[in-house]
Amino acid sequence: MLKGELGRNYTDGEIIFREGEKGEVMYAIQSGKVKITRVTSSGETTIATLQPGDIFGEMALFDRLPRSANAVALGDARVLSIDKKKLFTTINRDPTLVFKILEAMSHRIRSLNEELAKLRDAKAKVVKVCPDMKATCGMILDQAKEFVKAENGSLMLLDDREKKLVIMAAFGSDRVEKAHLSEGYGIAGDVLKTGMAELINCVSSDRRFVRSPIEIGSMLCIPLKCDQHIQGVINMSHSSENHFSLEDLSIMNSLAFYASLALQNAKNFASLRKATDGVLIHATLLNEYAAEVD
Amino acid sequence: MGLHKGNTAQYELRDGSKIAVLGGGPTGSFFSIFALKMAKMMGKEINVTIYEPKDFTKDGPGGCNRCGGIISELLLQTIAVEGITLPDRVVRKGIHSYKLHTNHGTVFIATPAFEKTIATVYRGGGPKGMAGGETESFDNFLLSRAAAEGAIHVPLRIERVESRGKPVLFSQNKEVMEADLVAGCFGVNSTTGKIFEEMGIGYKQPSTSTAAIAELAMTEEAITECFGNSIHLFLIPDKDIKFAAMIPKGQFVTLCILGEDLSPSIVREFLERTLVKSVLPSSYSIECSCLPRMNSGAARRPFADRVVICGDAGSTRLFKDGLGGAYLMGKAAAKAAVFQGVGEADFRREYYPVYKSIIYDNLYGSFLYAVIGQYRRWKYLTKAMIEVVRKEQRDTDNTEKILSNILWDMFTGNERYKNVFLKSLKVRMHIDMWEGLFKSLLRRDDAER
Repeated sequence: MLKGELGRNYTDGEIIFREGEKGEVMYAIQSGKVKITRVTSSGETTIATLQPGDIFGEMALFDRLPRSANAVALGDARVLSIDKKKLFTTINRDPTLVFKILEAMSHRIRSLNEELAKLRDAKAKVVKVCPDMKATCGMILDQAKEFVKAENGSLMLLDDREKKLVIMAAFGSDRVEKAHLSEGYGIAGDVLKTGMAELINCVSSDRRFVRSPIEIGSMLCIPLKCDQHIQGVINMSHSSENHFSLEDLSIMNSLAFYASLALQNAKNFASLRKATDGVLIHATLLNEYAAEVD
Repeated sequence: MGLHKGNTAQYELRDGSKIAVLGGGPTGSFFSIFALKMAKMMGKEINVTIYEPKDFTKDGPGGCNRCGGIISELLLQTIAVEGITLPDRVVRKGIHSYKLHTNHGTVFIATPAFEKTIATVYRGGGPKGMAGGETESFDNFLLSRAAAEGAIHVPLRIERVESRGKPVLFSQNKEVMEADLVAGCFGVNSTTGKIFEEMGIGYKQPSTSTAAIAELAMTEEAITECFGNSIHLFLIPDKDIKFAAMIPKGQFVTLCILGEDLSPSIVREFLERTLVKSVLPSSYSIECSCLPRMNSGAARRPFADRVVICGDAGSTRLFKDGLGGAYLMGKAAAKAAVFQGVGEADFRREYYPVYKSIIYDNLYGSFLYAVIGQYRRWKYLTKAMIEVVRKEQRDTDNTEKILSNILWDMFTGNERYKNVFLKSLKVRMHIDMWEGLFKSLLRRDDAER
């Protein structure tokens, strides 16, 4: 019988530390997973998902600043705390102890650099004023295809009048789908309601899944939020189960941020054009009326 | 083998350099892991071969390494930072507290939030009949980690090492390897020490004392009820016994008795004591017992050109945290070999300071154990100590808890003895101790009246 149980147990969703707290210890994951999150204006974003053997919480120890993010147990997790005072005393005796910490930090900086480069590229392409909403949606989905390997994908926007999700752009089997989902209906409808991005490893066992002729094993469903207003969702799916990773979820979340801005810009541009057209019509009518009076 | 001046190129490890490690216990594995990691970091490809005839997956004496098997909080945290996480199958019990038993009372000292920061492990397959299943020994786990890093494990007993410019290893009178470096990572109960003594490098094995170790079999329910997640320590006024510890491990409890000139009957005599009986369940059996030697001094000349001896065979921490000593010395020797070289001067510059620091620290340890010996012997001092620790544990506002921390650090091996000694100089603790002593003396007067 296994009797391990080193460290402290945290249940799913339990907070290990919060952003802004003073950091006196760092942590090593013994079992389970821990997600590092930050709350931004568009909601909670997962920065990283850590595995057994990974260390976290070391930044506050070294830069002596408050915690820069939250650490939350993802499922049941067991974590060993490492006391700052003892760690620094040991490092003082044996500086090579920081090799592993430097390696972990370098790895994190490298993957952040890669993510940043991808997002900068996406931002340059997506966040530009495009008068055509459909073309904007197509551009966003093209970028999503570059970030995540998926067989099918769609971008659905909420029709404010009908209160239904309408497919604006799609690829793969989703291209032929003409489904209109109500808010709260199906996985996409639920994500629209909750505003929380989801990674579903086994779609068939998800009770929200609406049966369709398309074979779907796993999927990512990301809300498009701008100033707490959810405009729609991006769906990416694959026929095999467990196809997507938490890193895919994280990068799609980041893309969704820029995508929302682009959609808002497109919407604003359309409204502006409508208003300008209105003003032009009025001005023309006014001119004609003035000519008649003369 | 002469002392070379400075770090000459002939002693530098290069691509293809060969290191022979004699002994695949924790010191040998830690040495191999760090030597390979650091060499990779430096862009060098070295070959490390670990010669270890013992099979650590075997149960009973065949795989046993005669050790209490406690991984201290400090070592656990340090190796976690190094990226070595102990899997559940290796840890027999997570420990969050110590219970100190004396003839005049018991005190309980726990970690904050009862976090299990200490691990109990078996060094081999455990007592007879335990091998297999879902469990793994600590030594086997570390040896696998060394193999994963690139070390080759050869289950051969090396019987002779000859110095021919480079050390040449022999097994069954056959030459098996010419190495650039031989690392002796063996214990004091091994015969390997003689090989190095016969090399003519001036190495002399450390002095030893005897310990008694026994495995007590009982049901898991009984262990949970009687021991929980605590290690039980016994400080009793006995001229032979310095202290004893009961370490819970799944279906067994390891009993370790440290003292002077222990006889084979010591285990049974100890278990017959009323205080000890009060801790144990009504039903248990002694599965096995032995009287291993343990390092109580330091080896002479633990290094020479192309030879380094570390771990128990060199110097280790007095009475406590032998596995911590294995990490410290194994890594120090690896660092010296990779970053400096394998000459005597290199080891003197990089390895010897760590080696000496352990020897000096043990001097503080000897003093502290002598003081604890007095506390153990004089009942009013024992009572005062119990009184102070109880007061500290009751006082939730007292964050210092000096005496509790001193005892915790002493018995867990969590802190260097020098730092424990410095803590013991705090005036506050002495005031509390005098207060406790007066109280216990006053109680005696009351009782006499």
